[in-house]
Amino acid sequence: MALKSVLRRMTLLDRAIVMVLGMFAGSLLLGINSRAPGENILVEREGKIIFTAPLKEEREIRLKGIRGEAVLIVREGGAEMIEAPCPRKVCMGMGRIDQDGEIIACVPNGLLVRIEGGNEPEKTYDVLSR
Amino acid sequence: MRYSRFFILLLPAAALAAFLFWRFGAAGEESVVRRQFLMGTLVEITVPAAPSGTADAVDRAFAEMRRVEELMRPDGPGSEAAAITAAEGPIEVGSETAEVIALGMKVARLSGGGFDMGLGRLKTLWGIETEHPRVPKPEEILSALEGTGPEDLMTDGNRVLKSDPRLAVDLGAIAKGFAIDRAAEILRNSGVTRAVVNAGGDLCVIGDRGDRPWRIGIQHPRDPGALLATLSLENVSVVTSGDYERFFEAQGQRYHHLFDPRTGYPAGLAQSMTVVAPSAALADALATAAFVLGPEQGLALLKEFSQVEGLLVAADGTIFISEGLREKVEWP
Repeated sequence: MALKSVLRRMTLLDRAIVMVLGMFAGSLLLGINSRAPGENILVEREGKIIFTAPLKEEREIRLKGIRGEAVLIVREGGAEMIEAPCPRKVCMGMGRIDQDGEIIACVPNGLLVRIEGGNEPEKTYDVLSR
Repeated sequence: MRYSRFFILLLPAAALAAFLFWRFGAAGEESVVRRQFLMGTLVEITVPAAPSGTADAVDRAFAEMRRVEELMRPDGPGSEAAAITAAEGPIEVGSETAEVIALGMKVARLSGGGFDMGLGRLKTLWGIETEHPRVPKPEEILSALEGTGPEDLMTDGNRVLKSDPRLAVDLGAIAKGFAIDRAAEILRNSGVTRAVVNAGGDLCVIGDRGDRPWRIGIQHPRDPGALLATLSLENVSVVTSGDYERFFEAQGQRYHHLFDPRTGYPAGLAQSMTVVAPSAALADALATAAFVLGPEQGLALLKEFSQVEGLLVAADGTIFISEGLREKVEWP
């Protein structure tokens, strides 16, 4: 067979190089697959997690904040604040989040909604000044 | 060329060891990221490759910011700013409040009144951060500005004196920066050599990012999803003031929260002003002052201070950048 013929003609160094290249390719695959598999929604109030659930499970959540009740909706792999008790409703204006690391911050109501897990999109900066 | 069997076997073993170190070697040095709502914004402290004990240091940094917030907020029983507002004569305050006021007065003086810590009554009048903002009548604005100006506060050691008993002190344009500085100092004193203290986009970076400087994105003032620029910096504070942060609309016109203390109306010469400075308190005050003064006077003001640089977007969208930032900026 052709493969046997190739193997017979390979030196020990050739085989070592092939092994190293194979390990490198395998490590890349392992690296990609070892990212956090979960894609969860987390809600924090006063630094404590008060709610967490898989993002793929669609639901409507009523959250008690400092100023009153807010409503978060989880659907189609994303989350969005649809009701807020504060007058300016900035958190509703933040729209939908669906990527790892994205947040909805309701400052007056003391609620922080964030997404964890999955593959974070590559950013060109470490921190944003605004 | 002949190779010994030992060397040939060593090659894949070394590659395997390198991979394992890359993949798992830094397992004991994970990043610490904590967030808290403080000073009316979301504060995030990030320590990459954090040594043990970092979480405690981060908790102490947050506690320190909360203490500064209580000390310098415009109202509340523990607030020295509120005590100054209520005082009818000279008042003794703590060294930190006196230090912040002295720094603010320096910026007020050098900016010719482009920065003012006595705008409490004006801010209450506009109510931009309340449920019912409104455009006040011109006579109301004139009345709220009485007693304000670049010399409206004086310090003598820890004693503070107002030029007018009615003056309402508001340290909002400098206290957040001071709180960031205090948090950064707690982290440094705890042995943290790399970190970011980010209070709603006003920030201090400690050290570098490891193999490179920190990359600090600057938000575009007219496109919330886009970057204006990226700055590569180490060991500095960066504060941006923009007309897009807090505003309301009335009769088709937009009114934002950065007032020109000389007129009592929102300043109209800039869209955003980013200041890079050795301390966040200084960057905070200068970002507000230079925003108010606009491109020419604003960038001239920054030159009065050592190691201070700036990036300004004028009202017509023209971008101005100071000399010292030109080699550190990357445009999208």
